[in-house]
Amino acid sequence: MSVGAADLLTESEGEGNLATAPGAEIAARSPLQLFWRRLRGDKVALIALAFIVLLLLIAVLAGPIRKIFGAPPPNLQDSGTLDDFGTPTYDFPKHIMGVDDLGRDVFSRVLYGARVSLEVALAATGIAVACGTVAGMIAGYYRGWVDTLISRSIDVLLAFPILLLGLGLGSACSLKGCLGGVIKPGISVVIFIISLSSSLYFARIIRGQVLSLREKEFIEASKSLGASNLRIIFKEVLPNLVAPIIVYSTLIIPTNILFEAALSFLGVGVKAPNPSWGQMIADAVSIFNTAWWYMFFPGLALLLTVLAFNLVGDGLQDALNPKSGR
Amino acid sequence: MTRSFRTIGLGALAAVALAVAGCGGGGSDEKSTSSTPGGKKAPLNGAKKGGTLSVVSQADFVDIDCGKAYYQYDYMLCYATQRPLYSYAPGDPNNVQPDMAADKPEISPDGKTVTIKIRTGVKFSPPVNREVTSKDVKYAIERMFFSSVNNGYAGSYMGDIVGAKTGAKPGTKIEGIETPDDQTIVIKLKKGTGAVVAQALSLPGSAPVPEDYAAKYDAKAQSTYKNFVVSTGPYMIQQDAQGKAIGYKAGKTTTVVRNPNWDAKTDRKPAPLDGFTFKSGNDPAVAAKQIYQGTAQVSGDFAPLPPDIKAGLTQYKGQLNLNPNGAFRYVAMNTSKKPFNNVDIRRAVIAAFDRKAIQLSRGGDTIGDVASHFLPPGIPGFEEAGGQKGPSLDYLANERGDMAVAQKYMKAAGFPSGKYNGPEITMIGVNTGTGKKAAQVTQAQFEKVGFKVNLKLVTQDSMYSKFCQIPKSGYDVCPNVAWGKDFNDPQSLLDVPFNGENIIQEGNSNHALFDDPEINQAMDKAKLIVDLQERAQAWGKIDTQLMEKGAAIPWLWDKQPNINSKDVNAVLNEFTSNWDLNYTGLK
Repeated sequence: MSVGAADLLTESEGEGNLATAPGAEIAARSPLQLFWRRLRGDKVALIALAFIVLLLLIAVLAGPIRKIFGAPPPNLQDSGTLDDFGTPTYDFPKHIMGVDDLGRDVFSRVLYGARVSLEVALAATGIAVACGTVAGMIAGYYRGWVDTLISRSIDVLLAFPILLLGLGLGSACSLKGCLGGVIKPGISVVIFIISLSSSLYFARIIRGQVLSLREKEFIEASKSLGASNLRIIFKEVLPNLVAPIIVYSTLIIPTNILFEAALSFLGVGVKAPNPSWGQMIADAVSIFNTAWWYMFFPGLALLLTVLAFNLVGDGLQDALNPKSGR
Repeated sequence: MTRSFRTIGLGALAAVALAVAGCGGGGSDEKSTSSTPGGKKAPLNGAKKGGTLSVVSQADFVDIDCGKAYYQYDYMLCYATQRPLYSYAPGDPNNVQPDMAADKPEISPDGKTVTIKIRTGVKFSPPVNREVTSKDVKYAIERMFFSSVNNGYAGSYMGDIVGAKTGAKPGTKIEGIETPDDQTIVIKLKKGTGAVVAQALSLPGSAPVPEDYAAKYDAKAQSTYKNFVVSTGPYMIQQDAQGKAIGYKAGKTTTVVRNPNWDAKTDRKPAPLDGFTFKSGNDPAVAAKQIYQGTAQVSGDFAPLPPDIKAGLTQYKGQLNLNPNGAFRYVAMNTSKKPFNNVDIRRAVIAAFDRKAIQLSRGGDTIGDVASHFLPPGIPGFEEAGGQKGPSLDYLANERGDMAVAQKYMKAAGFPSGKYNGPEITMIGVNTGTGKKAAQVTQAQFEKVGFKVNLKLVTQDSMYSKFCQIPKSGYDVCPNVAWGKDFNDPQSLLDVPFNGENIIQEGNSNHALFDDPEINQAMDKAKLIVDLQERAQAWGKIDTQLMEKGAAIPWLWDKQPNINSKDVNAVLNEFTSNWDLNYTGLK
């Protein structure tokens, strides 16, 4: 506790100007500088952040990286790498992560799988954040019947077992797409399902924040100066939501990665033959006894990615909101 | 609000109560079954009498109405619960033996009349309980032609019966089937196809069905007889007092018990078991391990994955049986519409297709040889069609696929780049096990020649019942289909899957929707040939013509893997390539 208190003392300058005024040589720091100072001290979060940057690079540069290592393209089936019974082999220098049961290079599929995982996770999170924030702000700010309508709809949707809903939508949309072809089979179905489910949680969190913000004095001041509701929502409320939005979206990303993996594992995710970690793990289950590498490497990739996003999320939360404690 | 909820609740409760009452009825029925003395025949080598076992499978039966069933796994149930006129015994896959019939069929010299005598003393299971007469066999054949039953092979093998017409109104009589007395059936034919008609009577559809009991179910638009099916074989699906087949739970389990009215004196089958349960919805990899380790007893419909085949040959010796089953696996392209109505596009795909890769995805040489045409080894006409090597066509020369030849045919089809660039095609594959792998290999092969493939993976039963057997569903490619002999004659391998006259709107087995007048005529001629050597020659030639027209892509002549646990004395029926549940017992 004493450490926390000291932190508060030394770092609380930026929070309000009423803090004891120290000597003149201390320059004023912007919130961003403060944030960076705090984050810099969190070594674990920094390592995790570096890993995520690396992962983004891998996803973007999957093609060149694959060529550097001399690995074949991810969907190339080389049945020459299977033994006489058609079971996969682990021919180390040639295929550094072995091959799968169709003779496809696991290393190259893990690389391209990162692309699918991040694409889905980032796109779905982006959509969820946008929809969730707008819905949450409207509900929280206007209260009344608007709030009732939005909040109760969210409650109803949350009452659905979301994985089952996802499975149902996934298989219903997998042949011809959904909503009259707006959502095409494959990756967009997955993104739709995931963003639908995570935007619900997001909207709730934002609504809660707005409920307390709207009673603050500066909002009242704006109102009394005659600002329109839209102006207040976007110019006064939204900037104050940036911190929670950043924190919660970093925490939603790993959940979404796992959700995509789960959907792919259950067979309604990304369409074959596009590599996805969840799909690879699912396919590997049946031959785990003879081909451990087929499950191990995509599993490891999934584990590290989710862990990294979680650690970064924690780090951001501490840095942006030091009073929250652990 | 509350009130309406409560009403629904009560309604549901009432339904549950009814179901419970039904179960109770079934339970007491089962008791009476077990108290009835069973067969007296000595069980086969070392098989113990009594006990039950579980048959694990990946998918459910396609149809438990044996007058409709046309799927190998369905036959496993049908041959145990029904007595067709003829059937095959373990150890002799080439010679058919009398079952419901008392003796061999008499075929007139012109091949236009077939006369069969049936056994006395065979009774239907409850609730019918009466003795089987020739009229029940007549009705069984008649109902196969009903629009409500729509049997998949009746038209092709028995379509020459005088007065028989597929898609007939339920209840339509066939004048060409006469029953001069209770034990005699005389089948009159328009053409001399008596030999094939007689062979086809070994299929489950010839098992007697009591008209007085079944007619009301067959009169529906879709026959509901399967829910009330009665048996003549040693076993029956567990039923309640009204005859409802409560042992059948679609997609889950099928519980089979002894038929109390089966008399061992009328049958050659020992039927040592007291019953068995078919369990569907299993993952092949898990199921194989369960069977090897003894928590499940025998395999039903699935092929163990390559690692489990390997384990069966190395670790669990004697628990894996590989039986050449006279079948070919193939990739069906929908030849009735663009793009595969173009023969050169089909040839290009065949040329590019790596048949060795797809064979390896299923388990390599142990599970069968790479096919170079349709008729499999052991079937008359195999040698005439080119033997192992197959017909000498440039697009079949390399089992690994030849892209240069593929490009040549693509150019001939009007794609100057040598690659297809039309709209996306829809491929319907199986979503588990070796089927899924084969589908993915097929997808890659089509992509090699430029196709954009929308691969939709579904369960095996819906792959057939919702897509590949329904021409209207509009699929382009069915990569997971196979065809096995119905009996030891090339006609039974080629006629149903490739004769355009056999295309039906539901339960269709001509998955390629192949309808070529030249082939249809050649088949109609070859059907009438009586001399075995000439017959083999004619059908061998048809096989070659089919390959020339690129009717489909054959890739495997199956050796069917079946596995059993150590505590089971599993007996294989080499003809059906399934475990024969009339002979299988516990050790």
